[in-house]
Amino acid sequence: MLSGDQSVIELREVQKKYAPDIVALEEADLTISKGEFVFLTGPSGAGKSTLLRMLYKAEEPTGGSIIIDGVDLSSLSKSQIPQLRRKVGVIFQDFKLLFNKTVFENVALSLEVLGLKKNQLSSRVRQVVEGVGLSDKLHRKVVQLSGGEQQRVAIARAVVNRPPIILADEPTGNLDRKRTTEVVALMEELNARGATILFATHDENLFTDTHRRVLRLKDGKIEEL
Amino acid sequence: MPLGIIFKRALRDIRQNLVTHVMTTIVVALTCLVFIFFSVFSLNLQRIADHFGKELAIVVYLKKDMPQDKIPSLYQKIVGMDGIESVRFVSSEEAFKRLEKYFKDEKEVLEGVDPLFLPPSFEIQIDRAVYNPGRVRSIAQKFADWPEVQKVQYGKEWVDRLESFSKAVKAAVVASAVLLLVMAAFVVSNTIKLTVYARQDEIEIMRLVGATNGFIQGPFLLASFLQGVSGSLAAIVAGLFCYEYVLNIITQTELIKSLNLQFLPPLYMLTIVLVSGIFCVAGTAMALRRFLTL
Ligand SMILES: Nc1ncnc2c1ncn2[C@@H]1O[C@H](COP(=O)(O)OP(=O)(O)O)[C@@H](O)[C@H]1O
Ligand SMILES: [Mg+2]
Repeated sequence: MLSGDQSVIELREVQKKYAPDIVALEEADLTISKGEFVFLTGPSGAGKSTLLRMLYKAEEPTGGSIIIDGVDLSSLSKSQIPQLRRKVGVIFQDFKLLFNKTVFENVALSLEVLGLKKNQLSSRVRQVVEGVGLSDKLHRKVVQLSGGEQQRVAIARAVVNRPPIILADEPTGNLDRKRTTEVVALMEELNARGATILFATHDENLFTDTHRRVLRLKDGKIEEL
Repeated sequence: MPLGIIFKRALRDIRQNLVTHVMTTIVVALTCLVFIFFSVFSLNLQRIADHFGKELAIVVYLKKDMPQDKIPSLYQKIVGMDGIESVRFVSSEEAFKRLEKYFKDEKEVLEGVDPLFLPPSFEIQIDRAVYNPGRVRSIAQKFADWPEVQKVQYGKEWVDRLESFSKAVKAAVVASAVLLLVMAAFVVSNTIKLTVYARQDEIEIMRLVGATNGFIQGPFLLASFLQGVSGSLAAIVAGLFCYEYVLNIITQTELIKSLNLQFLPPLYMLTIVLVSGIFCVAGTAMALRRFLTL
């Protein structure tokens, strides 16, 4: 345990089995403090996505407990899940974008679900879309964008409501070197503004020369590097 | 709850699947129309029964050859009886005048008819408070035994029959109302389910970015409410047109005019609209509950 710091993500002996006998996680323990920037690595199939999905309660652990911001997720009722997800911005590995909607509409969705009206959210959306370098494509449909551009739309949507926790699942998976650097820089910036970041990636290059904490998933357990 | 957004989404759902939604609304309208038809029928049947039921009269026809001077004492005798509200003597002449009035423009048919051919009579109103069919019969029975009396007409048994018939119709209306509304709700909820299918990806994503159940279901519930309401409104308008049309044809006769037939009272119509809306929402809510769980 890290002493003194306030933990925002905590896993205690978390286990996740998929029927019939796939063990994605086994006794995973982890504590991430407020304001940390943590890389989560491990080869494809190691269970990174599974771990993240459990953090926003899209998946239930088959054992152990997960505590986010002091709340044990197993105690959350269905009606409390939206509150959790507003706190946790997720960049999905498969983007989960609405392909027939524009960039603006996709990014705005995160704010609309909070009850914001178009005139209240539009400047914020523009700002964030500009931050990921897509200003000129604001009213393009997502289906017309390249994979890398779509990835950045997914990033914009995850951060537009300024969540205190950001879970990034391979957010650079479809990007070239330059864009990758940009995305990592964007994450650094969000982190500097106070967001806690868990960055899952199989790309070791991203953290070889970082001072950040790096966790590796191996055999269903979490190791500190 | 952000009502503006929910409204916008509901309208978008309807617009993007306009044909299905319009068809559904038509089905709702037809369903309501059937119910409205039954209602109007039942309501007016009741009115007719009431109209004639109010005339709780016994008519005692006197023998034509009965001496005139016996009338006052007969009158007194009747007034003195239990359960009588009022008594009125109708002479042969007056009866004939009424007949003339009834024929009005076709008075000629009475030409050459002896103005005294109708018997004089007493029209007796039964006290409403003590009214029941058996009672009217027993009072009427007494007059029949009097030597001065030629014939007693009473009872309005057909009114009683009409009344019990109209009660049966009313029960049928209530039963059909439930059945028809359940049908409408079923149709609407199925259409909404189709919309939900079409929006499954969007719904999943909305959930992932923190949309509440209300936010997700709101537009669907609103759309079904709009369908229930617009369907029933359309049915009322259509029903009113049909009613006016039919009325125009049948009210050529004086008798039907006097019945004061009417369409549904405003409160009744309002109830139909609201209940239709509520049923459609309830049906959809039930469909969504099974459908939109995580
Ligand atoms: N829904 C699922 N059903 C069954 N097995 C799954 C499911 N999701 C993931 N897995 C399995 O769990 C393991 C971890 O997968 P995943 O979390 O996607 O790994 P990573 O994101 O590290 O590549 C893999 O063996 C994968 O096949
Ligand atoms: Mg993955």
